[in-house]
Order: sequence, then C-alpha cells, then structure tokens
Amino acid sequence: MNSLFTPLSWSDTGFILIGVMNTVTISIVAIVLGTLLGLAVGFLRAESSKVVNVLLGSVLDILRSVPLIIQLILFSTFVGAMGYPLDPFVAGSIILSLYTMAFMSEVFRSGFESVHQSMRTSARSLGMSYWQTIFYIRLPIGLRAVFPSWLGVALSVIKDSALVSVIGYMELLRTSDQLISRTQQPLMILIGVGIFYFIISYPLSSYGRYVERKMAI
Amino acid sequence: MMRKLATSLVLSCIAFTSVNATADQLDTVIQRGTLNCGVVLDFPPMGYFDGNNQPAGFDVGYCNDLAAALGVESNILNLTWGDRIPSLISGKTDVVIGSTSDTLERAKSVGFTYPYFVFKFQVIAPKNKNIQSFDDLKNLKVGAALGTTYETEYLAYAEKKGWGTDNYTAFKSENDAYLGLYQGKVDAVISTNTNIATKLQSAEFKDFAAGPFVPNYDDVVGLIAKRSEGAWISYLNLFLVHQIRDGNMNTHYNKHFGSDAPADLIQSLRDNK
Amino acid sequence: MGALIKHPSDPFLTTESGQGMDYEFHWNVVFQNMPELLNGAFVTLHVSVLAMLLGIVIAILLAIAKMNNSKPYCYIATTWVEIARNTPALFQIYMAYFGLGALGIHLSPYVAVLSALVFINAGYLTETFRGGFQSIPNTQYSASKSLGMTSIQVYRYIILPQMLRRIYHPMTNQFVWSILMSSLGILVGMGELSGTTQRLQSLSFRTLEFFMVAAVMYFIITKLVLISSSLLSRKLFKGEI
Repeated sequence: MNSLFTPLSWSDTGFILIGVMNTVTISIVAIVLGTLLGLAVGFLRAESSKVVNVLLGSVLDILRSVPLIIQLILFSTFVGAMGYPLDPFVAGSIILSLYTMAFMSEVFRSGFESVHQSMRTSARSLGMSYWQTIFYIRLPIGLRAVFPSWLGVALSVIKDSALVSVIGYMELLRTSDQLISRTQQPLMILIGVGIFYFIISYPLSSYGRYVERKMAI
Repeated sequence: MMRKLATSLVLSCIAFTSVNATADQLDTVIQRGTLNCGVVLDFPPMGYFDGNNQPAGFDVGYCNDLAAALGVESNILNLTWGDRIPSLISGKTDVVIGSTSDTLERAKSVGFTYPYFVFKFQVIAPKNKNIQSFDDLKNLKVGAALGTTYETEYLAYAEKKGWGTDNYTAFKSENDAYLGLYQGKVDAVISTNTNIATKLQSAEFKDFAAGPFVPNYDDVVGLIAKRSEGAWISYLNLFLVHQIRDGNMNTHYNKHFGSDAPADLIQSLRDNK
Repeated sequence: MGALIKHPSDPFLTTESGQGMDYEFHWNVVFQNMPELLNGAFVTLHVSVLAMLLGIVIAILLAIAKMNNSKPYCYIATTWVEIARNTPALFQIYMAYFGLGALGIHLSPYVAVLSALVFINAGYLTETFRGGFQSIPNTQYSASKSLGMTSIQVYRYIILPQMLRRIYHPMTNQFVWSILMSSLGILVGMGELSGTTQRLQSLSFRTLEFFMVAAVMYFIITKLVLISSSLLSRKLFKGEI
C-alpha cells in the first residue's frame, strides 16, 4: 500500500515553483490585456456620447458586481456547454483580463478627463490635430496622473489571480492546497504562500504610495 | 489534373464535414488521441496524489485501462466533488470516473453508466469519542464534504431525529474534511468505508477509529458522461463489464485495498444494482 | 464537438458545424430551491454588514494608533495594514480556517470568513480614515478654537462632517468589495450564497442554472447597496459631495 501522507520534502520545490510561475504568468497576462482593453474602453467612455457610455457602463457594471469566483465558474461552464471547452489557463485569463479591464477603464477614464478642457483647446489652437493632442498631451499627462491607481488595480489582480484555482488552474494557492492535503501541515505551507504574495506586493504598493505622495506635493 | 485535385478536395471536405457532423464522443476521443478523464483526487484510495505529486488510485487505474482499451493517451484531470458536472458540461472531460452516486435526480442532468463500485457510508472519529451507534452522533460536531451523498444522508437523518444542523460543518473537499477532523475542528466525519480504511492505516490517524455505518444505505456509484452521448455510454458500460470479466477490477482492488474484491461486491456489480 | 440530439425548441442547436448548445436548461429545480438560495443571500448580506461594522471600529483604532507617535502601537497597526493589503483574501480565509486550526483555534466557517473580511476591511479602511483625517488642515482646528468652540464642538461640527464626506465613497466601495469577497466562503464550506449554490448544484448537477441565479442575486444585492448608499449620501451631504 502507498503511504497517503508524506512530509514536505525538497522534491516538492519544483512543484511549488510551477505554482509560483503559473501565478506570475496569469497575473502578467491579465494585467497586460486588462490594461490595453481598459485603455481603449476608458478612452471610448471619456470621448463618446451618453448612450454609448450607458451601454458600456452597464456591461462593465456586471463585471464589477458579480463575484469573480462566480464569473469564472459560469464562463468556464458556459463556453464549454456551447461546445468550446477551454483550458483553465485560457478561460481564467479571459475572465481575469475582462475583470481587470472593468476596473482599469475607470482608472483611465478619469485620467483622460483629468486633462483640463482648456489645455486641450490650447493644444488644438497651436495647430495640433485631434490625434496629436491625444498622443502628446492627454495620454502622457493623464496616464501619469493615474499611475498610483493603475498600480493599485494591478496589485489586486495579482491577489485575485488566486481565485482562478477554482476552475482547475494550478496556481500557487492550489498547489499549496494539494500539498496541505498530502502533508496535513497547513500552517507552514500557508505562511510560505503568504510570504510569497507579500514579497511581490509590498514593494510595489509602497512604491505606489511614494509616487502618490510625491504627486500630491 | 487540377480538376481532379479540386474534385477530390471538395469530396474530402464533404467527407470530413459529414464525419464531423455525426462524430460522437467516442469518435472524438479516438480522433483526438487522448482521453480526458476526470478523477476526484482527494478521495483515497480511489484517487489521490502520491509522494511525487502524481495522480494514483483505483479510479486513476480505471482511466488508464479505458484509455488503453481505446488505444489513446490517458490525461487525468483533478476535480473536486463540485467540479464533476461543470467539467463534463464544459467539455473539459470526456468521462468522470469519480465515485458519482447514481441518484435519479442527477440522472436528469448527466448520463450514468452501470455501477462500478459500491460504498458504505461510515463514521470516523477519535477513539476516545467511543461512538457505538449512529445515534451517538447526536451531540457531536459532525463534518462531511459539501454536496456529497453522505452529506445528504446525514442531514436527512439529523432532520428525522430532530438534531438540527448547528452541529454540522461542510468542507469543500474530502481532504479538507479529514484535515478538519485531524485538527479537531469536528468530532467526527462521515465518509466512505474505503477512504476511512485507507486513512486508518497511516500513522497520522492512529488515534482514530472507524465507527458505525450510516443505517440502511449502500452508495452505488457509476461513471458519468454527457447525457446525450448514448453510444459513448454504451461503450463505457461494456468497458465496465470487461473490467470485471478480464480481471482488471480485481487487480486494482488488490493493489488499493490489499485483498481480492469481495464476492458480494462483484455480484452486485454484475447485477447492476 | 459532440453529436447533438435535435430538439426543435432549442434555438442554439445547429447541425452544420457540429457546434452548439449541448445543454438543456431546467429551471424548475432552481425555483424549488429558491428559499435556500434566498437564505444564502441573507447570510451573505449578514456577514458582510457585520464585517464592515467591525472593520470600521478596528480601522478607527488602527488609524489613531498609526497617527500616534507611540512606537509599539504604530508598529502593530502598520503590520496589520500591510499584511491585509498585500496578501490575497483567499489566503486570509484559509489561514483563519486551517492555519489557526493547526494551532488548535477552531473557528466555524462563518467566523473564519467573517474574521478574514474584518481583517482586510480594517486594513484598507485604516488608510482611508488616516487619509481623510490628514486631508483636513490643522489651521481649521485652531481657527475654530479661536472662535470659542470646544474641542468636542470642533470635531462634531467642523472636522468629522468633512472627514465623513471624504471617506464616504471609499467606504461604500469597501462594503461592495466585502459582499463580493464573502463568496469565498464557498471554499471553506460556508452556507452563504455561493456555498449554498455550490451545494445545490452538486445535488442536482444543474450548474449553469444555479450559478446564473446566484450571479443575478449578487448583482441585485450590490446594486441595492449602491443605490441606498447614494440616497443616504444625498440626505447626509445635501447633494454636495
């Protein structure tokens, strides 16, 4: 008979590393895609008419008002039932990116709107085209203003990526869950996991607050 | 020449689409060359992770046998109890070999094969709790895995006896339930006789003992697949018959339970009950 | 994908591509279990309201500790805030449930989720409160004093109303966040909306139906909270915020 419970050993390092890498991968994918989509949607919302805004807003509203865990289960099951089974990584990336987009778009929208109308008008009066004012005036100034908020959303995505475990993606928390079952030693493993997230998140959030303080002055 | 090529191209396209239109799960698996087989890997000895973090267990053995019979690769997917159906509907798995109790309610949603195993539901508790009968659970904190048939059975029993649900704790998985028992979160856990027997062999559970069975209940379990896949389900049924006839069932039983499969288990599987 | 059984009433069914909705919706079973789902929704609301109230109380204490110059309190507050803000909620819940369990401290699923949410709420709200307080310049305090107000009057009529206005919106967001995050109770077997949904779908295997209804319920709950919050703010701040 095989032994069910075996203590944590050095051979588990590789297994944990896979979990770490998967957490990092899906976070990066979601942050990059979420930022790009959020930039586009945020711009659309800042520029477009009220009707478009209400329509876009209500879709984003759904993404922000339903728990991520439910979105993941529903989406992964639904597309599968439609006949397109997706790998947990793909399904997780899509939902996590859309979820990120919903928050990023608000961040960028406020960034675009933070550039005052008078500045836009003066840029145009200097002979800049519409797109020139966007690329040389509104994007650089608006983006700089919202950098701390962007970082805040990005950090929450890293933490929320833990939820993709519910649809079977072997990220850090799911690998540790499996190790806990095998070793019956939750405390040590969980503390290790906590330290990992903290090491990634703490320096970034401190930097975000530093930038925020500098900008406030 | 060109015309010939074009005709054959068109013909093969027609042939391909028509094959595709009638391809059922069985064809899909064979064409794909891999069997995506869902197993609950926190339910030893049916499914668990061995010391190398690799899937192992009775159900995993069945997956591998099925893949071998189909002549395809076996791809084991780790599921929790709750994942079993979503994984089938979403097409992530072709079949779930995961000790699924064949209730008529569930059979409205998924297709069941013939039974492939029969469990008893049993209580496991620390030795000092000294549980003799199921009624001794009255004032104890009892735990079980969320959404399992033994959870339903315990809750039904508790309701019948007027115990209420305050003493009951649900866990997201079988492993979590045992971890909760091990830590002392609950006084007793309801699980299957097989899982309990396996757990009791390990040093971690030396101070625990198997208690009474859930009265009057046999848990008959089958493989599950998409309800609409009639041909696939008949293939699976034949596979189960062969597992017994060819002796594979007995081999796996020996490997994971340390003895030959009991005659009454084999008989009830043969009788499909 | 799979062969499809044609069903005339199903608009999703297509035969040409072999793709299509291979799933029939059964809503009856969901309606039969509606009382249980509503009960789950009530537990969700219950745990998040409690987590918010306790979080606010602790956050006020932590904010005072952080602004205070006495070292030990300040360290405790800073550690609390940083751990709460820099680790996933799922981790906190596991820690409260199985992590503390390893130390012999046994919380029920409800209490484990509640304490994790309180821990995080307090962590985030501390910063909100501190920011709100520091945004009001000291000169206001001295000016009010010179007008003959007592310290209590200064706080009651000058400082707190302004502070409340600044922290009101972040607090609402934090409340919505708690409601959404209480769904993690599903992972420790708690009987809130998600956990109940998971249990019901395991019994009947109607995954899509149950989770869709749960999604709608969460949406309604968060909308109700946001609407009542903006009505309240209109009343409190007379429209100017």
